[in-house]
Amino acid sequence: MRKALTISAIGHATVLLWGMIAFVVKPLEATTMESLPVDVISDAEFSQITAGVKTAKKVETPKPMVEKLGEQKPVEELTKLDKKPEIKTAAAEPMPPPPEPRKPDPKPEKAKAEPEKKAEPEKKQEPDKAKPAEAPPPDPIAEAMKKAEEQKKKDEQKKAEEQKKKLAEEKRKAEEQKRKEEALKNQPAFDPSKIAALLDKQAPRRQEVTGDTLNQTASLGLPTGRAATLSQSEIDALRAQIQACWNPPAGAVEAKELIVQVRLRLRQDGSLQADPMLLNRGSHPFFQVAAESALRAIRRCQPYRLPVAKYDVWKDVEVTFDPRDMFRG
Amino acid sequence: MIPEAPGMAADLSIFGLFWQAHWVVKLVMVGLLACSVWVWAIAIDKFLLLQRTRSAMNRFEQAFWSGQSLEELYRSLASRPNHSMAALFVAAMREWKRSFEGSSRSFAGLQMRIDKVMDVTIAREVERLERRLLVLATVGSASPFVGLFGTVWGIMNSFQSIAASKNTSLAVVAPGIAEALFATAIGLVAAIPATIFYNKFSSEVNKQAARLEGFADEFSAILSRQIDERA
Repeated sequence: MRKALTISAIGHATVLLWGMIAFVVKPLEATTMESLPVDVISDAEFSQITAGVKTAKKVETPKPMVEKLGEQKPVEELTKLDKKPEIKTAAAEPMPPPPEPRKPDPKPEKAKAEPEKKAEPEKKQEPDKAKPAEAPPPDPIAEAMKKAEEQKKKDEQKKAEEQKKKLAEEKRKAEEQKRKEEALKNQPAFDPSKIAALLDKQAPRRQEVTGDTLNQTASLGLPTGRAATLSQSEIDALRAQIQACWNPPAGAVEAKELIVQVRLRLRQDGSLQADPMLLNRGSHPFFQVAAESALRAIRRCQPYRLPVAKYDVWKDVEVTFDPRDMFRG
Repeated sequence: MIPEAPGMAADLSIFGLFWQAHWVVKLVMVGLLACSVWVWAIAIDKFLLLQRTRSAMNRFEQAFWSGQSLEELYRSLASRPNHSMAALFVAAMREWKRSFEGSSRSFAGLQMRIDKVMDVTIAREVERLERRLLVLATVGSASPFVGLFGTVWGIMNSFQSIAASKNTSLAVVAPGIAEALFATAIGLVAAIPATIFYNKFSSEVNKQAARLEGFADEFSAILSRQIDERA
């Protein structure tokens, strides 16, 4: 028994070893597979898919614009503003109103300047007034007067020069103030929302717009993706046209045995392309009569008036003649 | 089973399958492997035993029917312990001799006694031939179920790994199912030879037992004639 056991054990070890070697030589690797999304569609849905044609011309349809979710926010500009010293201070202090205390300044200055400007013409007028006032007296003291006049002229010249200087200074001041005001105006107005944008440290891609345009047109297919079908009213129209000519076999027992199904093939003008085909057979004694009456009615009433646009649908139709409710389309 | 990341190439070699398995499945695999080893050991043992017995029977029958004196044959065989037919012959002859050598010659129940002794010997010999054959039958019928148990356990584990990774791709399930099926494979590997060997050896043992009984009947007939002649 021991001998047999030894032999068996050795045999098993050999087989296992062989198996290990054999499987190591050809390792069975389980590769990951991507799962495929599968949609289950019904027969009706499948038949309503209008197949695109590969060789069809590419129709350039105007692409409707995407509904914009928001302006493409120039995040980089905001970050650029961040570099400006003014905004930096604004960002550093919660509510720093550096422009506000300055704003009141120019107005008083202007106010100061205006009285001065007003004063100028008065001063100018004063010497003019003084001239005629001094002119009337005769020449007794002409020289003195001349001297006085000269002096006055000199004074006036001085005054004028001073005034010119003053004006120039005032102009300069005004220009400086204008420049300051312009600088203030150019400075972006203090906006809390922009501070929020600065503080917002999310990635800039969040602000990107989803896409430029949206094309709803399926490639080389119908935009609706629906095949044309006869609407209920059109079926009713066909039914009414045939019904007008049909004399159903009256008074037959077991009328449900007399249901006749007929297949019509129509031309585009509504006339019959071929003789209508009987699709069913019946064992009822009157069936042949009923079938004949149905075929006769169909032949008699052509041409049928149906929408030409849907000719593909009604060029080959089946009509059911049911004596119980005349017939169904 | 160790839940693996999906996409990780699973080690599907025999050894890899074993090491990835849950300990219950490992236990099943080891048990089934042991069963297989034991089955083959028994099969080899039985094969050798039956072959030896058959050749011994052939040799004995040749000697028996060669016209050799039964006394001589008995003397040559009695010294060493013999199996099967020789043991049957020796047991019957011993009983016969005992009846004649004793002080009171009792022929009355001799025939019955010889038959009894031979029956017992046949039973013992058949028991020796049949020993451990039942193990084969048990392994043959039970090991597929044990393997299936391992499979079910492994598949349960692989479903748990689906639940854990929330991914139903094949890569998640494959290692668990492979290891589970490996358990069934080992079970079948153990069961198929066990069943085949059991059928083969049990029919062989039946054949040899029938041969022993035939010889016993013949020998009993010879001895009965002798008794009638002597009485």
